[in-house]
Amino acid sequence: MDPARTLGPAQIDVLAQLFVSTILLGGIYALIAVGLTLIFGIMRVVNFAHGEFLMLGMYLAFWSFALYGLDPYLVLVAAIPLFFLTGLVTYALVMKGVIRASHNVQIFTTVGLSIALQNLALVLWTGDFRFVRPWHASVILRVGASAFNLSQVVAFAVAVAFTIGLFAFMKWTHAGRVMRATAQDRDAATLMGIDTDRVYRLTFAIGIACVGVAGVLVSPLYSVYPTAGLQFVLLAYVVVVLGGLGDMVGALLGSVIVASVEVVGSYVVGSAWKEVLYFLLFIAVLVFRPAGLFGQRGAENLGV
Amino acid sequence: MHRRHLVVVSAVVLALALVAGSSSGQAPSGEYKIGLLEPLTGPLAFEGKRHLEGYEIMRDMINDRGGVMGKKITFAVGDATDPTAAASEANRLITRDGVKIITGTYSSTLCGAASEAASRQNVIYWESSCVDPRFARRGLKNVFRTEIDGTGFGWYNIEFIAKHLAHRFNLRPNQLKIAFISEDSSYGQGVTEAARQRAKQEFGMQEVASEYYAFASTNDFTPIIVKLKQLNPDVVHHIARGNDAVLFWRQSREQQFVFKALVHAGATGYGSPDFGKALGADGNGPFVLAEPGPGLRLDALRPEAQKLEREFTEAVKKRTGAEPYASHRLAGAGLWLLKLVLDEAKTDELDRFRSAVMSLDLPVGSTLNGWGVKFAENGQNANERVQHYMLQWQNGQMATVWPEEFTTIRAKWIPLGPWDQRK
Amino acid sequence: MKKHAGAIVLFAVAALTPLVIRGGFFLDSLVIILLWGAISAAWNVAGGYAGQVSLGHAAFFGIGAYAAALVSARWQQSPWLGLLVGMLVSVAAGLIIGYLSNRLRGPYFALSTIAFSQVLLIVASRWRGFTAGSEGIPVPFRPGFWTLGLGHVAWVYVALALAVVYYLVEVYLERSRIGYQLAGVREDEEAAEALGIASRRLKVFAIALSAALTSIGGSLWAQYIGFVDPFYVFSVDLSVRFALHTIIGGMGVALGPFLGAALITALETSLRAHFSGIKGGYVGLYLVTYGVILILVVRFVPEGLAGLAARVRTRTIRAHA
Repeated sequence: MDPARTLGPAQIDVLAQLFVSTILLGGIYALIAVGLTLIFGIMRVVNFAHGEFLMLGMYLAFWSFALYGLDPYLVLVAAIPLFFLTGLVTYALVMKGVIRASHNVQIFTTVGLSIALQNLALVLWTGDFRFVRPWHASVILRVGASAFNLSQVVAFAVAVAFTIGLFAFMKWTHAGRVMRATAQDRDAATLMGIDTDRVYRLTFAIGIACVGVAGVLVSPLYSVYPTAGLQFVLLAYVVVVLGGLGDMVGALLGSVIVASVEVVGSYVVGSAWKEVLYFLLFIAVLVFRPAGLFGQRGAENLGV
Repeated sequence: MHRRHLVVVSAVVLALALVAGSSSGQAPSGEYKIGLLEPLTGPLAFEGKRHLEGYEIMRDMINDRGGVMGKKITFAVGDATDPTAAASEANRLITRDGVKIITGTYSSTLCGAASEAASRQNVIYWESSCVDPRFARRGLKNVFRTEIDGTGFGWYNIEFIAKHLAHRFNLRPNQLKIAFISEDSSYGQGVTEAARQRAKQEFGMQEVASEYYAFASTNDFTPIIVKLKQLNPDVVHHIARGNDAVLFWRQSREQQFVFKALVHAGATGYGSPDFGKALGADGNGPFVLAEPGPGLRLDALRPEAQKLEREFTEAVKKRTGAEPYASHRLAGAGLWLLKLVLDEAKTDELDRFRSAVMSLDLPVGSTLNGWGVKFAENGQNANERVQHYMLQWQNGQMATVWPEEFTTIRAKWIPLGPWDQRK
Repeated sequence: MKKHAGAIVLFAVAALTPLVIRGGFFLDSLVIILLWGAISAAWNVAGGYAGQVSLGHAAFFGIGAYAAALVSARWQQSPWLGLLVGMLVSVAAGLIIGYLSNRLRGPYFALSTIAFSQVLLIVASRWRGFTAGSEGIPVPFRPGFWTLGLGHVAWVYVALALAVVYYLVEVYLERSRIGYQLAGVREDEEAAEALGIASRRLKVFAIALSAALTSIGGSLWAQYIGFVDPFYVFSVDLSVRFALHTIIGGMGVALGPFLGAALITALETSLRAHFSGIKGGYVGLYLVTYGVILILVVRFVPEGLAGLAARVRTRTIRAHA
């Protein structure tokens, strides 16, 4: 008989712990999703290689730590320009040529990129699991009867900061408005004098910077290996669709929702079926509200 | 013909030519080529690579001793990244390299597909590592396996828990509360189900939970741990695959989830040196059923086996800079046993090979890993001869602690007790 | 007839090859090329002809594979029966998926198909009682036609028969009224609706048909390879592969999937062979090469090989004009 059925002080502790876990897990997912919602939202490209950039971020943190003893939170600062640059280069070499092509071509370009990056990592660094163990990876914070890891809290804080930052950027800066305009109607934007190529380049670079930073931040929490991106990528898509494409706050909220489905699902139904739960949720959203829970109705057909 | 058709047909002919042109040829005389299939790319690549290393090191050791059938062994290597590729590579090795024996392959789906492909060409298939229980039950005469079958792992784990742990907790086996957690690959499911069955049917242990999770997408065990805390198991039987072991152990500590023992089986998860690297002394306590490590009493082995052990371990250390992983050992032991068979049969012709296989009968302690050998009619090396050991994490190292007649180190922290008191 | 010269040549070569080349490796590659080509043609029915680019076709492949495996291993019946059962279940699945995702376009549709295939993967890998869970199902090999226990040469002809039939299905779609309607839906759904075409129903029909054909391919694959692993038969990798073959070879063109399958499979196989001798750790290089080639081909030949042939022809015509 499930002990969670009755509500006593022990159960409140349980709920509190589950709540904390949900929020923190949601933070991690948000970090990864924020970059994706930009790329998918503005460029309407299903980027199969998104997880690989996460993986590269994790390896950056690992090698900086292993070779130079640098803490991931220091590497974080350098990671932003580094991955921004990576995004620019990737765009120039790979994405630019297919930006005007059909969606299928774009998808398969990113599929090729994904395969190439995964195996590059395999060849360079082998398939062994690596770990980043800075001093704060084992620091446990306790609030009441709930326990959580310092690294999780920092990841959450950074996710929120990024989300707020990007939200502000999209809403109030000229560049942000231009990006949103291009997302709505590429041709109209061009007619208005917007250099869509530059917009896409910027979007992609910011998106990659976000996911690279996410990789650095989560490196103390998970092991690092060439296919590490896979475990997060599908989930990131669920979050992005749930929250509405291009919607920063939606990505954060969507992450929390997905995280809660996972956490509560694991607790109640058992971890074996939790993915089924969020995939079913995903399908439900796609069928009934493809614009996402927080997006405008009909937005899903823009640019598609 | 129109140009268009020309282009199309040329492309196709080019494609076929690409396939036809990939040839490696037969081995020069003085060399005996054996086909080796491993996952060298894809998610299992890190294990495939170690398997390959173990095979190569053992090959050199065998060649130093004169090789097989008077010739030096060489390998024709194939990358079995998924079942279709496994079958394709098996066919390539057989047709292009002319091998009569294929060995490998590490994972259940790969060994299933590769052995099928080999059977259809009447080539001997010598499996050293996959543990699918149905592997040897297909009635295939050319298929052999040196490693124990997966149900044996679960069987041994419960044996250990029931006969060596229970009474030290002052509990009878049927008073023991046991929780089963496992990653959901074929390995995890196979071992866990075998363990669950034996625990319930033979010992009447009380199963309080049975949770499977997807290794690839599980990043947080807190919900499971919170649930288990309330169910209060004595023993946690956790089959892990990689970082999930580290994550679970760390989060159990965070949640102050205390249990009397944790038992795992196999070279992954808790059985991987990565666990010790990640946690150091914080990882003290878990038991792992695996190939032997430090603490193994070499003098408990036969002299020939001792020599093999020492040489193999040294060679692996020299090449990789670390102690042998279980995958090294499985590959090495598998190849050594193949050599014994070929020495006896003096041929790779199936019928004589088979009788040589059946005629091998060596007691535990005779070869690498302290294994013995005795094959059943279905080509499976008997579980009782494939000696498995219980290891325990002690101060960043997996020490061999059971069976006690084979080991110098004893198990500690039984029961585990509070988290900060396991020094 | 001239239009189909390419196909006739390709299939004729495939038919005559086993008479000349007996090596297991070549024949095995041929079977896989034909099988993958056929399944990609099945994908093309939905993806190329109806414009429903699915990245979850492994769902149907897996259903077919499991049906064949279960019927043959568990219930000891002929796998041909499994093929039939798989087809029926796949049609049902295709109808459900088609109906639910009816209003979705482009990447959303693709993502929904991924989600469906993953749900099936999880169910198959956990439902131990029925599917043996993650351990998968070894498919017994019983010699004989009725049990699909065949040698390499026989398999070539079975796969070839499948390929030819699927090619003809595609050709029929191209020529028939339904095919024209599908083309209309594919190019501009709103315009098609305005013309009175029942676009929604057509889309569901295309997906269901594609599902049935894919499933049959999956059943045959299961019997050929002999082991059904849920993590492989329902994988996104496999779904991507079927789409990839068609895109490389030419979407909406009957011969496209076969060209793509031939090229990609041959490329992979030969790269693997040439790189296998390399020191263990560097084997991954062949996949890096493969990924880069993929990026280049998709970029420079976006209309696929068949489209390239058309491009060459157009230039030739212009040159001579």
